[in-house]
Amino acid sequence: MKQFPTSAEVDFVVIGSGAGGGIMAKQLSMAGFSVVVLEQGGWGKYGREQEYNKDEWLNLNLSDDDRLMSDPSRQRNTFRRNDQAKAVPGTHSYGCVVGGGTVTYGSSSWRHLPYEFREASLDPTIPSGTGMADWPITYEELEPYYSQAEWEMGISGLRVNSPFVAPMSKEYPLPPVPLKSSGALLHAAAAKLGLTAVPGPLAILTKPYMGRAACVNCGICSGYGCQVRARSSSAVTMLPLAVNTGRCEIRAKSYVREISADKSGRVTGVIYFDAQKREVRQRAKAVVLSANGSESARLLLLSKSARFPDGLANSSGLVGRYLMTGNGATANALFEHPLNEYKGVISGAAVVDYVPSDAKRGFYGGGRMTARGYQTPLDLGLNGLSPGAPRWGAGYKKALREESNHRMTITCFVTQMPLETNRVDLDPDVKDDWGLPAMRITSTSHPDDIKNMEFFRKKSIEILEAAGAKKVWAPPVSDTRGGAHNRGTCRMGNDPKTSVVDKYHRAHDVPNLFIVDGSVLVTGGRNHPTMTIQALAFRAAEHIAQAAKKGTLRTSP
Amino acid sequence: MSTKRRSRRRFLVDSVTGLNAAWIAANYHGILAAQEHVRQATQAGNLPQLAFFTVAQAAEIEAMTAQIIPTDESPGAREARCVYFIDRALSTFARGSQPAYIQGLRELETQTQQLYPDAGKFSALTSAQQVETLTRIEKTPFFNLVRTHTVIGFLARPVHGGNYNKIGWELIGYDDSLNHKPPFGYYDAQKENLP
Repeated sequence: MKQFPTSAEVDFVVIGSGAGGGIMAKQLSMAGFSVVVLEQGGWGKYGREQEYNKDEWLNLNLSDDDRLMSDPSRQRNTFRRNDQAKAVPGTHSYGCVVGGGTVTYGSSSWRHLPYEFREASLDPTIPSGTGMADWPITYEELEPYYSQAEWEMGISGLRVNSPFVAPMSKEYPLPPVPLKSSGALLHAAAAKLGLTAVPGPLAILTKPYMGRAACVNCGICSGYGCQVRARSSSAVTMLPLAVNTGRCEIRAKSYVREISADKSGRVTGVIYFDAQKREVRQRAKAVVLSANGSESARLLLLSKSARFPDGLANSSGLVGRYLMTGNGATANALFEHPLNEYKGVISGAAVVDYVPSDAKRGFYGGGRMTARGYQTPLDLGLNGLSPGAPRWGAGYKKALREESNHRMTITCFVTQMPLETNRVDLDPDVKDDWGLPAMRITSTSHPDDIKNMEFFRKKSIEILEAAGAKKVWAPPVSDTRGGAHNRGTCRMGNDPKTSVVDKYHRAHDVPNLFIVDGSVLVTGGRNHPTMTIQALAFRAAEHIAQAAKKGTLRTSP
Repeated sequence: MSTKRRSRRRFLVDSVTGLNAAWIAANYHGILAAQEHVRQATQAGNLPQLAFFTVAQAAEIEAMTAQIIPTDESPGAREARCVYFIDRALSTFARGSQPAYIQGLRELETQTQQLYPDAGKFSALTSAQQVETLTRIEKTPFFNLVRTHTVIGFLARPVHGGNYNKIGWELIGYDDSLNHKPPFGYYDAQKENLP
């Protein structure tokens, strides 16, 4: 791998190597630019993916070098429901390894639907007083980049003609994953109830593709790295191509604490802590911030200077605001015959009829219902049995025997409206392990969001009953406290007073700073953000490379 | 393991898996050390040697594990060698739980003698008496600790010292092959016949 001296000015520093950063690194280095990628996490098993194994106990206790997620007691964070409450220690955690969250995610790759870019204008069910706004770009503008992302990353799925699924100009490059028993039951229930069940698009190869093997249905999937490299993560798709250009260096365990700016208001590079917590400066002609929907905003807020006293790129005061952390609803059921859900990918079929909001329901909200059911052995044994099952003794053993492999779960991914009061900022009291102010999350979902979750909980029960379940149970819905799907904290827009970046991801206030990750999302879709982040990244990279070639990186467009 | 480190692990475990158990916190190097213990011990003979418990203590804990996952028409925690998993854990990654076990064994003895003054040892009770005794302490941290360790020993990969001959996985019908082919279960195999 190319190594740049830190004294040299490179063309781009990319902060983060996940869904957004991986694509930016590959596209910019292939376009001829020098790129340093700074990844907060370690290497994981980058380049030795065959060493990921199905050891659940070990995976819960990975070494610091191989861990895959951030650690809320080092990447400390706090949480409160509102400004009056005192923040308490939080459990917010996200992908933190070379490849970011794409290394371990469930791999759902849904596009946003065309109307999701203009919901604020089109949808009369949206209550007043929220931060719902139209995007500065349309689905039609983004559509070619969705296709590009699907083909370059390797997405499996089925193009369907349905008002509940985004239209596609091109097929998926790979057929959908095999139907699981949970999917078969979902299809059967949907047929009975007059609903639409479709295979979910997944960043998981179903045939060999671009030098990688197809999924072998090993089963231990989400939360683990893929040992046959069938999951189309940034680590096995984009980053190796970037490194192969000879113009891209990835530095793992590099935790950026500041994006530096000069008096003219241009960024000049970054300061980061290396693995030994030594401060390193890296100069760059431009910076691409892809640190994720919560950390990108925090880093801007940490990057205060005389010129940017409220944090970098924050003249609007909106950096960190409109946080959407992601809500859901679930219901579980037991069936007479074995489903053996431990074989195959975690998520397959989905019911999509309730994706759009509907005034008849009496509130704004929509979502997707996905069939799942997998329980790892330890999860099942420790606390995965149905309510009321004995915790030990003959009854416990009987329940273990009878319930294992007989369970199906419907997991709903639903809307959460952006609210100005929901945000990421810097905790005034708590510091992280590097001595920096910890991330503070303030979040309470809109009442409609809660009603929507309850709607999906009830619909999930109906579907499971229609599928012939013997026993159904559904935990009460609860408001989010953070998670890997954070979005919205540096929203995109045309007006510098009401948004942080423009439609090409350039910070309104800083001409050579670009933000390319979930933080630019104006609305959250149905809580399946990754494919939209990837499409946006391909589009952003094209425009940034053009600007760099024209020499307008440091000037206004 | 320092308190700070333990709390780190707890955070991680809770947030990543939703498993709500402080005591399943461990660390990677400790787990590898435990594996090595298991490998060496089982090379030497049929049953592994005890590393932490005395033989008498192991008998008490084993009797507890055998009530948590009893042996009926199929093998249980005893046959899966959960007590050996726990023994390795306490001498490696779960060293921090040693005092809890020592104190817990004392409580078990006290409880046993209160209920059955003539018995002396928990492991000497009849099965019904053992169930009665454990029902009295089933809400205690010690019981929950042993329960958690028993379940992990029963269902984690055999390299960690329990789940002997994949007894635990056999009970839950888990096949750890790397490669599976559809149909996976009853309903996808029968999909043509579904309603």
